[in-house]
Amino acid sequence: MFSYYFKLGVRSLRRNPALTALMVLTLAVGVAASVSTLTILHIMSSNPIPQKSERLFAPVIDNGPLEGYNPADPDNRNSSNEQMSYIDTMNLLKNGYGERRTALYGIGAPIEPPRKDMGVISAQGIATTRDFFAMFDVPFLYGQAWSEAEDKAGADVAVLSSAMAEKLFGAANPVGQRVRIAQQDYQIVGVLNNYRPRPKFFRLVGGPGAFGQEEEVMLPLSTAIRHETPHNGSMSCSSNREAGWQGLLRSECTWLQFFFETKSASERGQLQSWLNNYADDQRKLGRLKRNAPNRLYDVMEWLEYRKVVGNDSRLAAWLAFGFLALCLVNTIGLLLAKFSVRASEVGIRRALGASRAEIFQQFLTETAVVGLAGGLLGLLLAFGALAIIGMQSKEMQVVAHMDLPMLALTFVLALLAAVLAGLIPTWRACKITPAIQLKSQ
Amino acid sequence: MEIRPILSALLRSKTGAILVALQVAISLAILANAIHIVNQRQAVAARPSGIADESTMVYVELRHLRKSDHNAQVAEQKAETAALRAVPGVTSVAFTNQMPMTNNGSNTSVSADRKQLQSSAVASYYFSPDSLVKTLGLRIVEGRDFRPDEFIEIDNDKDDDAASAPHAILVTRALAQKVWPNASSYVGKTLYYGTGADAQGGPVVGVLDTLQSQSAEVGERGGYASIVPMRLTNGYGTIYAIRTEPGQVERVMKEAETALLRTSADPLIVRVKKISDTRKERYRADIGLSWMLVTVSALLLVITASGIVGISSLWVTQRRKQIGVRRALGARRVDILRYFLTENFMITSVGVASGVLLAVALNQLLVSKLEMARLPLDYLLIGAGVFWLLGALAVYGPAWRAASISPATATRST
Amino acid sequence: MLRMTNLSKVYRTHMIETHALRGFEIQVNKGEFVTVTGPSGSGKTSFLNIAGLLEEFTDGDYILDGVNVKGMDDNARSRLRNEKLGFIFQGFNLIPDLSLFDNVDVPLRYRGFNAKERKERIEDALAKVGLASRMKHYPAELSGGQQQRVAIARALAGSPKLLLADEPTGNLDTQMARGVMELLEEINAQGTTILMVTHDPELATRSQRNVHIIDGQVSDLVRKGPSLVDTRSHSA
Repeated sequence: MFSYYFKLGVRSLRRNPALTALMVLTLAVGVAASVSTLTILHIMSSNPIPQKSERLFAPVIDNGPLEGYNPADPDNRNSSNEQMSYIDTMNLLKNGYGERRTALYGIGAPIEPPRKDMGVISAQGIATTRDFFAMFDVPFLYGQAWSEAEDKAGADVAVLSSAMAEKLFGAANPVGQRVRIAQQDYQIVGVLNNYRPRPKFFRLVGGPGAFGQEEEVMLPLSTAIRHETPHNGSMSCSSNREAGWQGLLRSECTWLQFFFETKSASERGQLQSWLNNYADDQRKLGRLKRNAPNRLYDVMEWLEYRKVVGNDSRLAAWLAFGFLALCLVNTIGLLLAKFSVRASEVGIRRALGASRAEIFQQFLTETAVVGLAGGLLGLLLAFGALAIIGMQSKEMQVVAHMDLPMLALTFVLALLAAVLAGLIPTWRACKITPAIQLKSQ
Repeated sequence: MEIRPILSALLRSKTGAILVALQVAISLAILANAIHIVNQRQAVAARPSGIADESTMVYVELRHLRKSDHNAQVAEQKAETAALRAVPGVTSVAFTNQMPMTNNGSNTSVSADRKQLQSSAVASYYFSPDSLVKTLGLRIVEGRDFRPDEFIEIDNDKDDDAASAPHAILVTRALAQKVWPNASSYVGKTLYYGTGADAQGGPVVGVLDTLQSQSAEVGERGGYASIVPMRLTNGYGTIYAIRTEPGQVERVMKEAETALLRTSADPLIVRVKKISDTRKERYRADIGLSWMLVTVSALLLVITASGIVGISSLWVTQRRKQIGVRRALGARRVDILRYFLTENFMITSVGVASGVLLAVALNQLLVSKLEMARLPLDYLLIGAGVFWLLGALAVYGPAWRAASISPATATRST
Repeated sequence: MLRMTNLSKVYRTHMIETHALRGFEIQVNKGEFVTVTGPSGSGKTSFLNIAGLLEEFTDGDYILDGVNVKGMDDNARSRLRNEKLGFIFQGFNLIPDLSLFDNVDVPLRYRGFNAKERKERIEDALAKVGLASRMKHYPAELSGGQQQRVAIARALAGSPKLLLADEPTGNLDTQMARGVMELLEEINAQGTTILMVTHDPELATRSQRNVHIIDGQVSDLVRKGPSLVDTRSHSA
């Protein structure tokens, strides 16, 4: 019976191509708008490291001065107080809780390439510890992270991104070769294999954005400190600091990002207690002045807190769904028009023995055909829309990408919308009394 | 006009009318909010940065690979400035630490009194050993630009805060009003950077009309800025702001890069940018959103119109006989036309009324959940007018068809 | 009241030309009750349409109540229809979504009467057909005969000079049909000219005068004796 209804549906749609085209188009546009905005939202709010996002934590300790401290003031959320000072970073790295710990800060890395004809390349990267790679499951194309000894000693070693390695050394394996960064030679120990978590959760404060390009250079933290490599990111100093690099290291300026890794998500409570104890100790030493709560955020909470999913993306998705609602109501009207002219057909079918349920099935199948066609067209339009949105910026290009679940969603949405829209008109069609209609008023 | 009978007939067969009214309501709700947001974003993107004639303003981001000592850096800065000034087509050059709308730079908290527990505001912190006012074309509304004797030279690595206390400060009017809300004149007042006993302060010598912060934030904060007359070494950010003559921008950009590279034997990273490009980049997301909303709005109108045409056409077909009878009873073509227009107006009015309520509700949701701005009344009124017009235009075609139905239809047997 | 001279009506489609009426001549005087009969396809519907100004004619002359309607534009014809004519159709043709009151109201609205005048006329008309008590009801709640009577009320409300009826009893059973015919005869007795198309030969014989149309032309002009109404009023 279903294939019969399906054939009837297709045939009926062909009979009035203009009306059919209008219905399919309206549905397609509504579906496309919703799916493309939803896709963007979906990717923006995706979990970049689902296998361990619940046991990676970013701590926030308030090391500001007592002057100007208002615990109830919302503006106390100074965006850079969400990073960490050098003193706390070193303390936590050395004696901290958890399976592993890492810290990082953004650096600008001007590279003088081996080929003299290429000018200086202004690369972007981070200075971090060895544990970074293990903690965040960073994949390597060639080589590996630097050794613990090199990490401790602050050796002149570097890890490059695959794109940067290719730019400098071509397709060959550059491990072991030297690269000149900021007038200093470094030995390459590893090349990353396209490490692009979406979003880039480890460098949200003062970085190139949650969907920015991948890190091109990675140096050991101790090495960068030793070379007095200036930070390329956000720094907040709420009290006066002494001049010079050492003054910076001794100050309460915050400019480093810290992460804990615990063995399991359930250890969060213990980490919190440990952190509180550490803060209390620092207060006793007179370093931390404020009695502010110490906060911990796991990866998803951190993304939420840093507002990675912007309000604009949410707005777009909401409006798109409102738009879909409009298309739905519109389609109901069109279907009503379409089915009402078939009153005589229904009357005859009923007279010939079709039950109400069978009429219902027939017409609902017809709307499903519209839904399928709408879904197909909607998918094409959604691809187009995402392509156009992606053209906006590099960040948008990363985000405006259709994946398989979204693709399936397109069809489900289109079918659901069509069937919903078809309920009232179909129900109306069922109510037509059996008769061979010769006259109508 | 026959309003009551039309209303009575509509109430008897509500479905089509409800569908049209619902479409109008949804469209109006979305359209009013969407266009409002578009206008808001356009306004944000059009805010003046304070820089006069942005089309002739370029800037260079410079980075030395080799770090030299304080005196060498001072010499470098002066040589670079001179080299740039020598480029034909350059009218003015100023060394500075940041430019508006770049999202790169520093802020500092400021206060009117050291003893304040909380600072008065957070302001963008500009400094220059040259006249930023002259090069950027900033407008002074009170007081004057810096005098040559007010400039100081600081080594960021060595000099402590006391030595780097500014001898003069320029503030924006917005910042002045925030820091000294009860004053009408600000020249002579002392501005402190930070609070507490060791906060450094300096006298305000001039007030600027506008200078946006480096992030050009939306709201008051985007207009809080101060300039300090200072040459700094070992700091962050080396920028040369360059004013060019009109029509020479491209050439000046190329020659400036070459001139700078020539000043140093060591490798340099030189990036020359136009402030107009920077503006586009800063507001790219807002413009992108605006386009998306405009597209959606256009589609809303098209789809609603098509919905009205669809239902009206259906009614014309369904009422064929009835229309013929009316014509037989003496209705003229224009009477039939008027019937449909009136009916449509009534339905649209219901749609508009509910749309207005829906628009306000939607706006309330946006305000509370997405930090958007409140919708002014104008948008609702204009939206209502738009949909009344749209309804009338959309129904005209089917109504005209109805009016053309021959009165002889009444006597036909089908 | 009505006079057609040498009237012809030709329907033209792409390939076919149909002569519905040719050289048609008829004259109906004031106060007459004329039935029009003829086999199907004879042109009686075309005649009625043209008489009722529902259609234009190809050639000839048509004078209605002293007005020559040839070449009149649509607006003028509509106005004339509204003021001088009343229609009764086989299928009643009441508007289903309007109450009886509003149905009778329809032609009056186009006339431009004020609300008070319209109300009076509607109430009078419905009273005349015996349905004043059911003013607020809807057509679906009425029997066929009652619906036709409402249609008659609608036709009468504007005080027309000429009533045109197209098989008014065709959809009614014998009892209802009789009731409608009696009503029509009463109206005619009060001075309204009636022109009625019918299939029913019995009704044709009953009428004062019968016009028989075959192949687009009047075939018989049979003037009968005094009608039943006349007999009654002249009863000795």
